[in-house]
Amino acid sequence: MWLPVLGLLLGLILGFLTDIRVSEHYAPYLSIAVLAALDTLAGGIRAYLENQFDEKVFITGFFTNIFLAAGLAFLGVHLGVDLYLAAIFAFGIRLFKNIALIRRLLLRKWQG
Amino acid sequence: MKKIPIIFACVTLIIGYMAAVQFQSHAEPETRDTRNMADLRQALMAEKERQQELNEEISRQQEILNQLEETEDVEDVMADVIENLQEQAGLTEVTGEGLIIQIDLEFDHNYTGGAISSIPPYLLRLLINDLNIQGAEHIAIGNERIVSTTAIREANGRTLVNGNWLSYFPVEVKVISNDPESLHYAIMSSQSREMFIYENMNFSSNPVDSLTLPAFDKNYRTRFMEPVQEGS
Repeated sequence: MWLPVLGLLLGLILGFLTDIRVSEHYAPYLSIAVLAALDTLAGGIRAYLENQFDEKVFITGFFTNIFLAAGLAFLGVHLGVDLYLAAIFAFGIRLFKNIALIRRLLLRKWQG
Repeated sequence: MKKIPIIFACVTLIIGYMAAVQFQSHAEPETRDTRNMADLRQALMAEKERQQELNEEISRQQEILNQLEETEDVEDVMADVIENLQEQAGLTEVTGEGLIIQIDLEFDHNYTGGAISSIPPYLLRLLINDLNIQGAEHIAIGNERIVSTTAIREANGRTLVNGNWLSYFPVEVKVISNDPESLHYAIMSSQSREMFIYENMNFSSNPVDSLTLPAFDKNYRTRFMEPVQEGS
């Protein structure tokens, strides 16, 4: 349980230490990638709690989601349509749903 | 099953990394003050002036408060205050030394445009702004007193001030000022005069010792403001 938290902290420290800055043009892609990653993570945790976790699905989903989201944002910029809103919408809704499910599953586990 | 926490850890590591990069790129670059000495001095002067104005305002209010507290008969003080406020708001006639600006048409001999029936509103606004900048205290255009809610606009090709037609040329603008002489020089060399000339008009101003400005004769339209109930 503590390993993922440690990973998160390590990632944050690494990120702050390397001092990499993304130019303002690419910042939206990165933020959408973070959102996609969070969404996949929540989905993964839910699947784990439901005992349906499949690492291949999880890892492929993680990378495809990130690149799909960034690609969608890129396409949107070039078409002049705010397509990233679609990604934010979809990921946002799923994120909330997954977190709600995780909460319920944890509650059920805790209650017995 | 042992692999699962490791996979999660890898994923959270990537998320953490991305989030950190994102935070860093979004961190506000500290805004640097690039003003030089002269700019800073000017800013300081402006602030000092403002402070002085505020101090004066405070002392005036304090004085009124003292008067109200000391006198038994509050009504006189209140009447004084109301009168003062009315004068500031332009609801009373005012007399004092000032300036009379006469705006008239002035065509050069190869003018080919149509007839000009009235002064465009933007020119009047420009003139009023210039006058206010140069320290005018009360302004009237024709017989219309300029107050804080005065509307200067155009309808059917004629200019309206306070909702009344502006008279035909020449138009007289009366200004009351503490220092009419310097206001005269300032306004004769102002940018608004150039704009008037550009629109085939010109104005001349002469300082006078005493002139009377009419009162604002309409009702103030007060929106977005209402009296506060005592004790609420």
